Amino acid sequence: MTAKEENGEKHLWPASAHEARRFILHELPRCTPVDGGTAEGDRHGRANEPPELLDPDIIEGSTFRAVHVADPRSVRGQSGFAGFLDGTQDVRIVNQIDGIPIVWATVSAAVRARTNRRLASWSGRPPVVRGSYYIPFRYVDGMPDELRNDSRVVDTASQDRSGKFPSRHPAALMEAAVQRVQQDRENAEIELAEAWCALEEQALYVDGSISASPMVSRSTLAVGVIKSHRRLYAEGDAFRVLVALRAGERSTVFRVSSRSRHPVASWYVRVRAATGRDALFGLVRVESAETVDVSARADELSRWIIAEGSPLALPDGRWDKMAYGVRDAEEFLRAIS
Amino acid sequence: MTEPLGRVVATERKPNTPHEFHFWTSLDSPVGIGTIVRVDGAHATSGQIPHIYGVVVEGFSYTDLLTPMHDVLGHDGSPGNAGLAVTERTEIRLYSAAVLRQIPEEPLQPVPMGEVFLAEEADVAVALRMDGYLKEGSHTGIPVGVYRAGATDSVVYLDADFLLGPEAAHLNITGMSGLATKTSAVEFLLASVFAHFPESKGSIAAVCFNVKGPDLCFLDQPALRLEDSDRALYEKMGVKPEPFANVRYFAPYTAKGFALNTLRSNEALVHNVTPLTWGLREVLQYAEVLLNRDDIDAKADALIDFITERVVDRKMDKDGPLSRDHTVQTFGDLEAWFRDLLQGMERANAESWRTHHIATIRKVRNRLSNISTRCAGLVTDTGDVSDLPFGSFEDRAVYVVDVATLEEDAQDLIFARIVSKLREHLERRDLGVKHLIVFVDELNKYAPGDGQDTYVRKMLLDIAERGRYLGLVLFSAQQFRSQVHRRVVGNSGTALYGRMDSDELATPGYSVLSAATRTRLATLDKGQLMVRHPHFTQPIFVRFPRPAVLQGRDGVERFPQAADVTLETALYKSLRTLDPSIPLAWLKSLVNLYDEAELLGARNATMLAKPSNVRAFFESRLRRIIPADAPAGASRHVTSPLRPLPVGDPYDL
Repeated sequence: MTAKEENGEKHLWPASAHEARRFILHELPRCTPVDGGTAEGDRHGRANEPPELLDPDIIEGSTFRAVHVADPRSVRGQSGFAGFLDGTQDVRIVNQIDGIPIVWATVSAAVRARTNRRLASWSGRPPVVRGSYYIPFRYVDGMPDELRNDSRVVDTASQDRSGKFPSRHPAALMEAAVQRVQQDRENAEIELAEAWCALEEQALYVDGSISASPMVSRSTLAVGVIKSHRRLYAEGDAFRVLVALRAGERSTVFRVSSRSRHPVASWYVRVRAATGRDALFGLVRVESAETVDVSARADELSRWIIAEGSPLALPDGRWDKMAYGVRDAEEFLRAIS
Repeated sequence: MTEPLGRVVATERKPNTPHEFHFWTSLDSPVGIGTIVRVDGAHATSGQIPHIYGVVVEGFSYTDLLTPMHDVLGHDGSPGNAGLAVTERTEIRLYSAAVLRQIPEEPLQPVPMGEVFLAEEADVAVALRMDGYLKEGSHTGIPVGVYRAGATDSVVYLDADFLLGPEAAHLNITGMSGLATKTSAVEFLLASVFAHFPESKGSIAAVCFNVKGPDLCFLDQPALRLEDSDRALYEKMGVKPEPFANVRYFAPYTAKGFALNTLRSNEALVHNVTPLTWGLREVLQYAEVLLNRDDIDAKADALIDFITERVVDRKMDKDGPLSRDHTVQTFGDLEAWFRDLLQGMERANAESWRTHHIATIRKVRNRLSNISTRCAGLVTDTGDVSDLPFGSFEDRAVYVVDVATLEEDAQDLIFARIVSKLREHLERRDLGVKHLIVFVDELNKYAPGDGQDTYVRKMLLDIAERGRYLGLVLFSAQQFRSQVHRRVVGNSGTALYGRMDSDELATPGYSVLSAATRTRLATLDKGQLMVRHPHFTQPIFVRFPRPAVLQGRDGVERFPQAADVTLETALYKSLRTLDPSIPLAWLKSLVNLYDEAELLGARNATMLAKPSNVRAFFESRLRRIIPADAPAGASRHVTSPLRPLPVGDPYDL
């Protein structure tokens, strides 16, 4: 809350891009409004990573192979997921000052719980909807202290790990803003995922990776399902096995870890037949806590994920990989944010 | 405070207007077509939170599917697989409602966003503007049925000022034959009117024309069975579930004259059945009802007028072609006059008499003479008149005229004369009651939208357009409203609709109703009606109870029609209602002596006069028969007749 808000003055934090445009005009009179649409960048949050193939760190057996899990038709109606978590972001340049873009972004995340086959908002924690400004402080003169000190205004010109500041180039500043927005969105998702793991006893279908949070990555309740494959954990023969997976098959389980992420068990599942389609059609990568019974766990979760393939998530373009619960969560977020 | 059952929603493509709004509900909400809802606005307008009342006219249901093909794909083409999906698609129930009323009423604005509630009883009263006429001290509400939605059971009232005048009047009911329960609705509504008509407005009675079947023949008998649910409705509406206390039936005789031409002929029920018979005086005024327009040119019309004004009930002296004095009071008298006149003209070889050409006279004689033949049983040659009790109508009485088994001519004549007489008496304010309801079924037949202009149709138009100022109210019914004269139905302030024929619903007059409302009309259950009333901005669906009177079918089974009888039995049955001691043997002896017409004439006169000495009166009406040979030495005993013979007695030849 700003000082003005504490004083009861009518400068309510913006609830839309239009309001954001007017609010910042009031705070930074020298800026000029920009009437633009959603900024570039995946609405659903993933940065434009370069595509790459990686050798999988196998933790189930010794070879990367296909494992038959079930006939997709036989697993209909059998899923242990009780909730679906997803997040979205909306990034816009609302103003500019001396050529510096002032970005307004809304990040939101929600869990949709399923009861008697019907989805509704999870009662454990309300959806997260946060609107923030993303401004490179060092390149904006005359920025009021109130604004600088507001936690809802994010400095996108802070030093990176190597100690460098981002360039003044508007595109570089935009890229930095988008990265911060993605980070904030992921934080919002983590917040809800951790709450679920603390409060619930049934599995949560997380749209995306679960390796960012130590708690979530170690919880047996959270299951991350990744639809994008900029990074494929299959090289050489493993790649050939991967693209040949049939509907109802999964790959061998492997470990995914990095310096900035927590280790998780992971595998690929073909949710639906790719005959006549591209090699990655209906293919998702699953992340789960590494457990002792990794094979049985992978089989069970794979069956659940295959079962979540009905009803179809059409008309979403990613319907082949998307669970209907995630689509519902996205529609919900579209409605509230 | 009840929970909201929906929320108003509007998009650019589907905006709300001052007259229509949209809202969504949960899947298990009790909303349906015809449900009344209330919207509470979120923001004040002119310092007042707006409340909008609407009636649901359309409903939609859809999911996030873009095309049905996606559902087929998702279930591998097998409908049975749908139940195996782990998640049900999100489904919306979206409704459109037509605005009934907005509070405040000005400024009239589009319906705002807000919560939607099921209308409770108080809301229904406001929504239908009934609060204006249900106030203590000025209550003019007449219950027409009960509106039901969820747990709400609200009585719907019509405003007597708009149902029975003077603000508006008349009621029209449309519906399929046998399914729509038009007659049941009228029976219930009459009971409701009798129970709730405000005392301050005076007395009221009803005249019903029973035009088909036995539907109206047992209004004074209790229904065989009345369900508890019907009793509850009666109680809710403050109407006693009882038959009408004061009902009188009127029907002409059969052509033979032995018995009354009515389905209500069972002995147990004849106590309140009165013959309906008219003579020359009563019929001549309405001769045009029976005469073909092509027949009656100006000349014939002039002669009929002359006869009406200068001949009937006047003494015509022997003059010119007339060979004797005439006093024409009956059809028989009229026939004798015509015969005498024409014979005289033929003798004198005269072409005309008092400007009337002989051909015209012959023509008019022919047309008038066969009226009593065409309307045998109703029109008598002897002039005995048994009529409705004009001048002494009783409050809350029902007078049923049974014309179901009559020929069309007789029906038209009855209708024309009775309605005209009612109108005359109401104009003079001496009918006996201040308000009168006339119920006519089969309006398709009596007031068709096309075809020749008939007397009956003109009369119905007159009632529809001017009746309310006299207190004469038309309750009419038909199967096809689109085929009834527009001004008759258009002047009906209140309209009720039972189950409708789909072809009828496709006619332009129903295009103002939504498709869902029309579909509901085509599938209404018995006991349900759609009501349009001046106060109601939109039509409303209500439920009414089964009438508490014996239905026609049940009545005919319980009180079968009397079998055909012989002349003596017919006389016996009639006279015994006046004097149970009348012996059959005495009647048989008279039957052997007198002809049928004379005996029937005597009976009719006796039934009219209701004398204390029935036998003596009956005999006095018969001509005296003197034995052929008087005994020698016997003196002739002259007795004075009980009644002097009328001048010009047709038997005095």
